Amino acid sequence: MKYGLQFRDVFAAWEFLLDGLVLTLALSVATMVLGFFLGLACACAKTYGGVRFKQGVTVYIETIRNTPLLVQIFLLYFGLPSLGLRLEGFDAALIALVINLGAYSTEIIRAGLEAIPKSQIEAGQSLGLTPWQIFRYIIVFPALKAMYPALSSQFILLMLATSVVSQISVQDLFHVGSIIQSRTFRDFEVYTVIGGIYLALAFMMRGVFAVIYRQVFAR
Amino acid sequence: MSRVELINVSKYYGPLRVLDDVSLSIETGEVIAIIGRSGSGKSTLLRCLNGLEPIQTGEILIDGVKVNDPDTDLRKLRQNVGIVFQSFNLFPHLSVSDNITLAPRLVLKQGPDQARKLAADVLARVGLADKIDAMPQQLSGGQQQRVAIARSLAMNPQLMLFDEVTSALDPELTGEVLRVLEGVAREGMTMILVTHEMGFARHFATRIVFMHEGKVWEQGPVADTLSHPQTAELKSFLDAVLN
Amino acid sequence: MIREFGTGDIVYLVFAARWTLALTALAFTGGACVGLVLAVMRISSLAHVRILASCYIQIVQGTPLLVWLFLFYFGLSIAGLPVNAWTAAAFAYSIYGGAFLGEIWRGALIAVAPTQWEAGASLGLTYVQQMRHIIMPQAVRIATPPTIGFLVQLIKNTSLAATIGFVELTREGQLTSASTYKPFAVYMTVACIYFLICFPLTQWSRRLEERFNVAR
Repeated sequence: MKYGLQFRDVFAAWEFLLDGLVLTLALSVATMVLGFFLGLACACAKTYGGVRFKQGVTVYIETIRNTPLLVQIFLLYFGLPSLGLRLEGFDAALIALVINLGAYSTEIIRAGLEAIPKSQIEAGQSLGLTPWQIFRYIIVFPALKAMYPALSSQFILLMLATSVVSQISVQDLFHVGSIIQSRTFRDFEVYTVIGGIYLALAFMMRGVFAVIYRQVFAR
Repeated sequence: MSRVELINVSKYYGPLRVLDDVSLSIETGEVIAIIGRSGSGKSTLLRCLNGLEPIQTGEILIDGVKVNDPDTDLRKLRQNVGIVFQSFNLFPHLSVSDNITLAPRLVLKQGPDQARKLAADVLARVGLADKIDAMPQQLSGGQQQRVAIARSLAMNPQLMLFDEVTSALDPELTGEVLRVLEGVAREGMTMILVTHEMGFARHFATRIVFMHEGKVWEQGPVADTLSHPQTAELKSFLDAVLN
Repeated sequence: MIREFGTGDIVYLVFAARWTLALTALAFTGGACVGLVLAVMRISSLAHVRILASCYIQIVQGTPLLVWLFLFYFGLSIAGLPVNAWTAAAFAYSIYGGAFLGEIWRGALIAVAPTQWEAGASLGLTYVQQMRHIIMPQAVRIATPPTIGFLVQLIKNTSLAATIGFVELTREGQLTSASTYKPFAVYMTVACIYFLICFPLTQWSRRLEERFNVAR
């Protein structure tokens, strides 16, 4: 049975694909920003906080890291309504993704913070700086530089993982793909194009992160 | 009142006595050279003086202020006590100028122009005026250490501590650092140096303190103590070091 | 017909986990074969072999797993094979897992000091002999903690197979949720089961890592 590959139908829906792409990007960027700050808060809690904070953060991290993202999203979107809280698809997706990214970012950020040698902190203390001044002027910048590679990799993984939100009917790039597929029956072509777009996105993100690194950290 | 007083200071980790009932008095303008084998407690002593390490018993007073009192404002104390470390500890992401002006701006609340002028002055004192905008990685070890000294001097301390500041340097580079230390000593600064540099000690220190097994084993005026050591341990230490 | 969500369902879900584990085993085997080939290719002295492996890894790591699942699921019919969730999943996870395992194992291979290679070569051993007797044993020890970590990832990733109708734990969760109208209880149970499988593995991987670092 000869099956000719036809990409025309897929490319004809380019506006639709663009909509999906924009939503994927929006979701990814929002998650990165919020997830980073959540991770930063938890990392500080774990590095500088008391025992209760440390334990709380550990429970959070371990729970998220040992359960699938898909199940976490289902819990938020399908599970919460039976407890009385009904969330929009996009909202549930964003919250689930932020909680997920926060858990993975915490470890990365913590590693960056702890990479600062104790001697640097002692030098700051010996000059009479306050703990906050030491954090702001001596720790932050070198820590960001140290955590940058791992964090940017995590961000790219996140962007790819947003494809999962298609399963709760959020109209991201992947979901758009499913819709086009159901209309045109060009299954293979659709997903090849979708895959290609994600790949291009991943490369672009890597490029942008590299440029930012050069501009900010490598003088 | 002495500038620095240690009264029956002890520090231990479990059974290990790092400092054993140390008592010492240091007057303004003195240059103390603390010598001894590694593990004798000399670096620890220095780090206790500005509160980087806690002590278990005894008292440390700097200008009458108790260092180990929980009520003491250590930050305020540290504005008057400068310390220079063996590994320089410059902030790698800041330029030389920023390294030096950071504390004057944040702690002494100086304005940026005033602070930069101060940086230029102290850099001139250590002979590195032209490196004011360089990054630490661009400097040699000796230059970095001199910047570290300048950074401490910028806070105009009353007392300066030096923890083996030439030990991490290549031999050719120690000379430039020692010359800076001579200059600081000549200006009348009260200095406590943990050092192996016997030549420097002989010429510029006013007193030698020999530490052994956490105790002040022997001390006295430099010339006498070095040429006529009273204890066997100091004798053998000097024999080993000077030969 | 709406059922109550009871202990029977919980037990049922626990048993559904066996499909998750079966798929994981299949995926790991496939991924391991691909990964091993890729890792060796990546340290080859031939530039085009290295580049080929590198391209593969870049492409696979730059596309979501869902895309691979769907591509293989629909692609099978084009290739003339019967559409089958098991086959599609097997291929997709092998391709996907191979890329990640390849990277991990390449890292382990290059972590073995070059001096070990030199020692082997100076003794007159061939490339294959050096690999087999000197490099591999050391590389395996280095690779074990991150490989176990990846295994945990794989177990979680099998949940995505539900999207192509593969019946494993998550899919059973969806079906149970639909028939009992108790999604919160169902998905909490599902999450707990995943946790009980993954957490011990994560801890084991950490312990191994610590022990290895101490030995170094």
